[in-house]
Amino acid sequence: MPLQSFSQSKPLTMGVELELQLLSTTTYDLVASAEDLLRIVGRRPHPGEVKPEMTSSMIEISTSAQSCYQSLLDELRDMRGALLEAARFLNIAVAGGGTHPFQHWGERKIFDAPRFKHLSELYGYLAKQFTIFGQHVHIGCPGPDEALRLLHLFGRYIPQFIALTASSPIVQGFDTQFDSARLNSVFSFPLSGRAPYVLSWTDFGRFFDKMTGTGVVESMKDFYWDIRPKPEYGTIEIRVCDTPLTVEKAAALAGYVQSIARYLLVEAPFRPDEDDYLVYAFNRFQACRFGLGGQLVDPRTHERIQIGDDIMDTLSHIEQHAIELGAEDACKAVRDSLTAGNDAQWVRRRYAAEKSLPEVVRQQSEYWASGK
Amino acid sequence: MTAQFEFLPAWPLHAAPSLWVAVALIAAVFVGEMFARTGWLPRVTGYILTGLVVGPGMLAVIGGSTMADWRLVVELALGILLFELGTRVNLRWLGSNRWLVVSSLLEAGLSFGAVFLILRYFGTPHAIAATAATITIATSPSIVVRIAAELRAQGQVTERLMLHTALNSIYAAVGVNLMVGVLHHEFRGSLLEAVLYPVYLLCSSVLVGTGFAMVFRRVERWLGNHEEVLSFLLLGMIALAVSVSATLNVPPLLPLLLAGVVVRQIRGRTLVYPQHFGSAGAVLIIVMFVLSGVSIAPQQLMQGAAVAAILVLGRVLAKIAGILAIARPSGLSWRQATALGVGLAPLSGVALLLTLDTGTLFPEFGKAVQSALLGSIVVLELVGPVMTFAALKLAGEANQ
Repeated sequence: MPLQSFSQSKPLTMGVELELQLLSTTTYDLVASAEDLLRIVGRRPHPGEVKPEMTSSMIEISTSAQSCYQSLLDELRDMRGALLEAARFLNIAVAGGGTHPFQHWGERKIFDAPRFKHLSELYGYLAKQFTIFGQHVHIGCPGPDEALRLLHLFGRYIPQFIALTASSPIVQGFDTQFDSARLNSVFSFPLSGRAPYVLSWTDFGRFFDKMTGTGVVESMKDFYWDIRPKPEYGTIEIRVCDTPLTVEKAAALAGYVQSIARYLLVEAPFRPDEDDYLVYAFNRFQACRFGLGGQLVDPRTHERIQIGDDIMDTLSHIEQHAIELGAEDACKAVRDSLTAGNDAQWVRRRYAAEKSLPEVVRQQSEYWASGK
Repeated sequence: MTAQFEFLPAWPLHAAPSLWVAVALIAAVFVGEMFARTGWLPRVTGYILTGLVVGPGMLAVIGGSTMADWRLVVELALGILLFELGTRVNLRWLGSNRWLVVSSLLEAGLSFGAVFLILRYFGTPHAIAATAATITIATSPSIVVRIAAELRAQGQVTERLMLHTALNSIYAAVGVNLMVGVLHHEFRGSLLEAVLYPVYLLCSSVLVGTGFAMVFRRVERWLGNHEEVLSFLLLGMIALAVSVSATLNVPPLLPLLLAGVVVRQIRGRTLVYPQHFGSAGAVLIIVMFVLSGVSIAPQQLMQGAAVAAILVLGRVLAKIAGILAIARPSGLSWRQATALGVGLAPLSGVALLLTLDTGTLFPEFGKAVQSALLGSIVVLELVGPVMTFAALKLAGEANQ
C-alpha cells in the first residue's frame, strides 16, 4: 500500500489522545473491563471518541480537533465526566499515570480485536508489557513538507515534553529511579525511535515505499516513532508523553506544544539539521531518568542546561504566540509545574507517605476524577 | 514383665481421633489437585467429596463427635470468607447503578417464588415452605469467594457475583430470622417470642458487625499500614467476632458479613490483605470444606432425590431469569448475565446450618421438608462450585 496523501487540516489546531488505566475499586489493580466500559459509554452521546487499546485494562479517549486551549480543556473535562459516570456504573475506577505501579504484565489480556491479536502474535510478551499509558498530541500542519520540517524542529523539545508529563516512576512494584519508565517499554519495539531525516513528503514517500517493500511494515501505524506524521489527519503526532495524572495537565501540555509550534512556524528561529539528532537519544534518556532535573546537551553550542531551565527559556520565547493562541493559561500551568514538580514526583511523595501502592493508585484515581 | 516397656503404646494401636482428620486433609489435597488438573473442576469440589467419602455416610472414619471438636475451625474459616466477601461490597456502587438493586431483588424474589411453589406443590405447609424458600435464596458465600480466589477472577461478572451473593445472603439471613419468628408463633403460639427473637438476632448482628469495624479502625490507626500486621489483626478480630457471636447465640453469618461491609465503607483507604489472610487461613478453609463434606448425609440425597432435583433446577433457572431480565439496563452482555446467573447456583453449608438451626428449634420443620432440602444442598454443594467455576471461565474472567 503506497503512502497516502497528506490531508488538509487547519494549521495549529490540536487534538489529544489519552490512554487511561481501568482499575478495580477493591484492589486497585488493573481490571479487564474495556469492553464493558465501551458498551456503557456508547449508550449516550459524548464529545470526542472512546476506543479500545492493546490490552483490556486500557482505554483511549481522543478529543476532536480544537483551535484553542480552553475549548480543548472543556472537551477533555466533558469526556472525563462521561467516562466517570460509565465507570461508576460498573464499579471501576479510572486513573492517569504512565504505568500502573504494581500490575503483573503476565496477567493482562489482549483486547479481542484482530489488530491487537495480530500484534500480540508478532510481538509476544512485548504486547502485554505494552500496558503503558501515553498521551499523544496532534498538531495540524499547513502542508506535508511543513509537517516534516516541524517534526524535526520539535525533536529539540522532546526532552521537555517527557520531563513535564513524566508520571511512571514505579513499575512492577519497584521505584525504577526513572521519572518516565514507560518509555523504556516503547524502546524495545524494533520500529521505535525517531523518524528518518527527510524534509519533503516525496522523499518520505520513497522511504515508506522501501520499507513496505521489505515487508517489515504495512502502514504508518507500524512505526512507533516519538513523533510521526499522521497523513489522514494532516497532523504530526507527538507520542513521547506519559498520560498525566489529570486532564488539566494534559490540556496544558497540549497548549504548550501548540504555542511552540506557532513559534517555530512563524518565527522560524532555527533550521532543522540532521546533526541535532547526535544528542537526541542522550537528552531523551536524561529526561526519562531525571525528569525536570535532567541535563540537556545543546546539539549546536554543546552547552549543558537543566531541562527545567530550558523550559523557562522556551516559555519566554513563546509568550506572544501563547497570547495569540489563547494558551497563556496553559503556559502558566507549565510554569507552575516547574516549581510544583511533575507527576512522577507526586507519585513518589504519595508512596513515601502511604507506603502502600494500592492506596497510591486509589489516590491517583481520585486525583484524576477531581483534577485537584 | 508388667512394669517394663510401659512407655510403649497399648497394642493394638488405637488411633487418636485427629488422625483421621489429618489423613482426610492430605487426601483432600490430592483429590483437589486431581480435579484442578482436569481444568473444569474446582479444587473445592475435591475437598467436599473427600469429606463425603470419609464421613458417616460412607467410610465413617470421621463422625459427628469429630465435627463438634472442629467446630471452631469451621466457624473461623467461614468467618474469614464472610469477612472477605463483605470487604468486596462497594455500597456506593448500588447508588450509581440502581439496576443492581432491582436485579438483586428480582433474582432473590424469583428464587424464593420458585422454591416456595415447588414445595407447596409437594404438599409442604405454608410456613415451612416459605422458610425453606428463604433459606435457599442465599448463594454460598464461602464457595463464591473460594472459587473466585482459586481462579483469581476479576471483572464485571466476578464483582457482581460477590455483590449478589452478599446481598442474597443478607436477605436469607434476615428473612429466616423473621420466618423463625413466624414459626414460633405458629408452633408455640408465643407472640412475644415471635417478635423479640428476630429483633434480638438482627440487633446483635449489627452490633457485633459495626463494633468490629469501630475497634478495627481504632487499632489500625495505631498499628500503621503494614500489610502483614494488618492481616494478623484482622484474623484475630475475626476469631473474636466469631466467638462473641457464639456467646450471644447468634449465627456468625450476618455479623461477619456486616463487619466486612462496614470496615470497607468507613475506611477511606484501600484495605489490602493477602487472600484468606495467608496460607494459614487457606488451610483452615480446606479443613472447613472437607468437614462440610463430612456433614453431608448421602442417604438424604437418595430419599429426597426427585424433589431435590426439581428444587435445584427451579432455583437455578429462577436466578438466571432474574439476572437476565435486568441484564441490559444494568450494563451486562447476555453472555455475562447468563454466566452470572449460573454462578449464583451454589447452595451451601450456611444454608445447611440455617436448616439445622431451624430444625433444632422446630422438629416439625425437620420432618416435613428436611430431606428434600438437604438433598438439594448435597447436589448444589457438589455441583454448585463446578457451575460457578465454569461461569467465571465462560465470562472470560479467570486468570489462572
